[in-house]
Amino acid sequence: MTARQAETAEATKSGAPELIKAVPVRHPGRWVAAAIILILAALAVQSLATNPRFGWGTVAAYILDVNIVRGVGWTLLLTVLSMLIAIILAIVLAFMRQSDNPILRWSSWFWVWFFRGTPVYTQLIFWGLVTVLYPTISLGIPFGPALATYILSDPTKGFIPAILGLGLNESAYLAEIFRAGLKSVDKGQVEAAEALGMRGTKIMWRIVLPQAMRVIVPPTGNETIGMLKTTSLVLAVPFTLDLTFVSNALANRTYQPIPLLIVAAAWYLLVTSILMVGQHYIEKYYGKGVDNLVPAAVNPAAAKAAAAGGTGAGSDLGTGTTIPGGPTAAGPTIEESGR
Amino acid sequence: MSTPAQTTPNSQPAPAPASLRGAKDLVRIEGVHKYFGEHHVLRGIDMTVKQGEVSVLIGPSGSGKSTLLRCVNHLETISAGRIWVNDELIGYRERAGKLHELHVKEIAAQRRNIGMVFQRFNLFGHKTALENIIEAPIQVKGQDKATAKKRALELLDRVGLSERANHYPAQLSGGQQQRVAIARALAMDPELMLFDEPTSALDPELVGDVLNVMKDLAKSGMTMVVVTHEIGFAREVGDTLTFMDGGVVVESGNPRDVIANPQHERTRSFLSKVL
Ligand SMILES: Nc1ncnc2c1ncn2[C@@H]1O[C@H](COP(=O)(O)OP(=O)(O)OP(=O)(O)O)[C@@H](O)[C@H]1O
Ligand SMILES: [Mg+2]
Repeated sequence: MTARQAETAEATKSGAPELIKAVPVRHPGRWVAAAIILILAALAVQSLATNPRFGWGTVAAYILDVNIVRGVGWTLLLTVLSMLIAIILAIVLAFMRQSDNPILRWSSWFWVWFFRGTPVYTQLIFWGLVTVLYPTISLGIPFGPALATYILSDPTKGFIPAILGLGLNESAYLAEIFRAGLKSVDKGQVEAAEALGMRGTKIMWRIVLPQAMRVIVPPTGNETIGMLKTTSLVLAVPFTLDLTFVSNALANRTYQPIPLLIVAAAWYLLVTSILMVGQHYIEKYYGKGVDNLVPAAVNPAAAKAAAAGGTGAGSDLGTGTTIPGGPTAAGPTIEESGR
Repeated sequence: MSTPAQTTPNSQPAPAPASLRGAKDLVRIEGVHKYFGEHHVLRGIDMTVKQGEVSVLIGPSGSGKSTLLRCVNHLETISAGRIWVNDELIGYRERAGKLHELHVKEIAAQRRNIGMVFQRFNLFGHKTALENIIEAPIQVKGQDKATAKKRALELLDRVGLSERANHYPAQLSGGQQQRVAIARALAMDPELMLFDEPTSALDPELVGDVLNVMKDLAKSGMTMVVVTHEIGFAREVGDTLTFMDGGVVVESGNPRDVIANPQHERTRSFLSKVL
C-alpha cells in the first residue's frame, strides 16, 4: 500500500474523505478560438441587419405568400411520396438480394446498378417524356374497363412522373442501406427463430427487420433530407409547383432574387428541422434493447424473496440497493448483448 | 446420395441405462454423414436417445458435435443416413423408397417439438426477457397473449428470473440470458431439448446457475442431448456419455464408466485434458 492510499484510508476511517481541489489546466487556445468565432458571428449579424440588399421587408412580405406556402406543401408531398415508394421498393430489393433464387438476386442487382448509375435529372426528364407517350394513366382490368383514370393535362400533370422518377432513383440507394442493415443482424437471431419453428417472412418482419432498423434509420433520415432538396430538380419533368421553382419564378418577376432565396432557404431549414425531430423519435424507438438502456427496475417483491433465499437459481442477485452509475440495483455488469 | 461406406466399426450404440430400459427411442440417428463441400465432417453416426434420457456429447473441437446437434433439428441438412425424432423422419418424407424434401412449413412444424439452446444465447435483442419467451408461442402456436404471458412468467420463475421479466438481453448477465433462452425454448413445450455448449460462453461463477436449471429440467423427465465440456455435469446428470472424435462416435456408455474407465486411447487422452 502506498503512502497516499494509506492516507485516504485514514481519511475514510475518520469520516468524510478530503475531496481533491486541484487547479484546472488552462486552455488559452479555446478562448482565442471562441473570441474569433464570436466576432465573425457578430459581423455577419450586423451585415445581415444593415445591408439593405438582403431586403428583409420583401422576405417578410413573401414568407407566407400563398404560392410559397403551396410550394412548401408540394415539396413536402413530393418528398414523402417518393420516399414512401423508395422505401417499399428498397425492402423488396433488399429481400430479393438475399433470396436463394438467382433471378431475383440478379434483377435486384441490375436495378440498383441502373438507377444508381444514371443521373436523377436524366431520369426525371425521361419520366416526363413517358407522360407524353402515355397522356392518360388508367387503373383497371387489363383490356377491360378502366376503374380510375388520371388525366395528365393540368399543371399538376408532372406530379406522378416526378415522384416516380425521384422514388425509383432513391430506391436504389435505399436498397443498399437496407441490405447493409439486414446484414448487420447476427445470423444467430435467424437460427434461434428457426429453431423455435418460426418461418421466413415472420422471421424477417418480426426478428431481423426491427433490429436492422437501428442501422437503417440514420442513413435513411439523411436520404430523406437529401430528397427534400432533390425535389428542386423536378423542373426537369417539368413540374413547376414546388418551392424552388415557385420562389425562383417570384424572384424573376420581382427582380429581387436574394430575399426570395432567403425565403426558400428558411422554409427548407424549417422542414429539415422537423424531419430531424421525427428521425430522433424513430431512432429512439428502434434503438430499444440496445441504445440508452436505463437500468430497468427489478421487481422489488421478487427481489426481496430472492434475497431471502427464495429462488434457488437467483444466487447472483445482489442486495437490492442502487449503485449510482451502475447498471441495475441487483445487477451484474452489462455484458455484451449476445446479439 | 448414396451412403458412404461405414468408417466406424467401433461405434456401437450405447446400452440403455437401467432406469430407462423399456422407454421408447425418442431420437434415432442412423448412418448419418455430413459433408461441407469436400470436408467430411460426420462420418457415419449411429445413436439413439430414449424418452427421458440425458445424453451428453463430448469431444475435441471440430469433432462435429455441433454439426450433429444441428442436423437433429434440420438447421443443417444431412448428406446421408436418417434421423428420426419421435418416429418422424427429420427433413424428408420417404415415399416408394425415394426421399422427398419437406416443405419449409413442415420443417418448421418438426422444429416446434425440438427446443434448442445455443452457446451464444441468441436472445432477440430488441425484445425483453418476457417478450422473447412469448414470441414463438404467440406467433407459431397461435396462443393468446394472456395465456402466453402467464406461462412465460411461470417459466421465468422456474429459471429463477421472475424479477427480470422486463429486462432486455443487454441488461442481463450471460448466465441470466442463457436461462431466459432455456425458458424461451421450453415455452414451446418441446419433447426434446438440444443444448450446444450452453455454459462455455459464461464466466465460471455463472455456470452453476445454468447447470442447476438444466439439472432440474433433467429431473422433470425432459429428454436432453447436451454438448458440453462440463464433465461433472455429465457424471452427475447424464444417463449416457458419448465421446466423438473426427466425425465418429468413438465410445459411448454410462458416464461414470466411461470417465472412470475409458476403453479407447483417444477417449483417455481427451478426458485427461478436460478433467
Ligand atoms: N457451415 C460450415 N461450413 C463449412 N464447414 C463447417 C461449417 N460448420 C462447421 N464446419 C466444420 O465442421 C467441423 C465440425 O464442426 P463443429 O462445429 O460440428 O465442431 P464441434 O465439435 O462442435 O467443435 P467445437 O467444440 O469447437 O464447437 C469443423 O471442422 C468445422 O470447421
Ligand atoms: Mg460446437
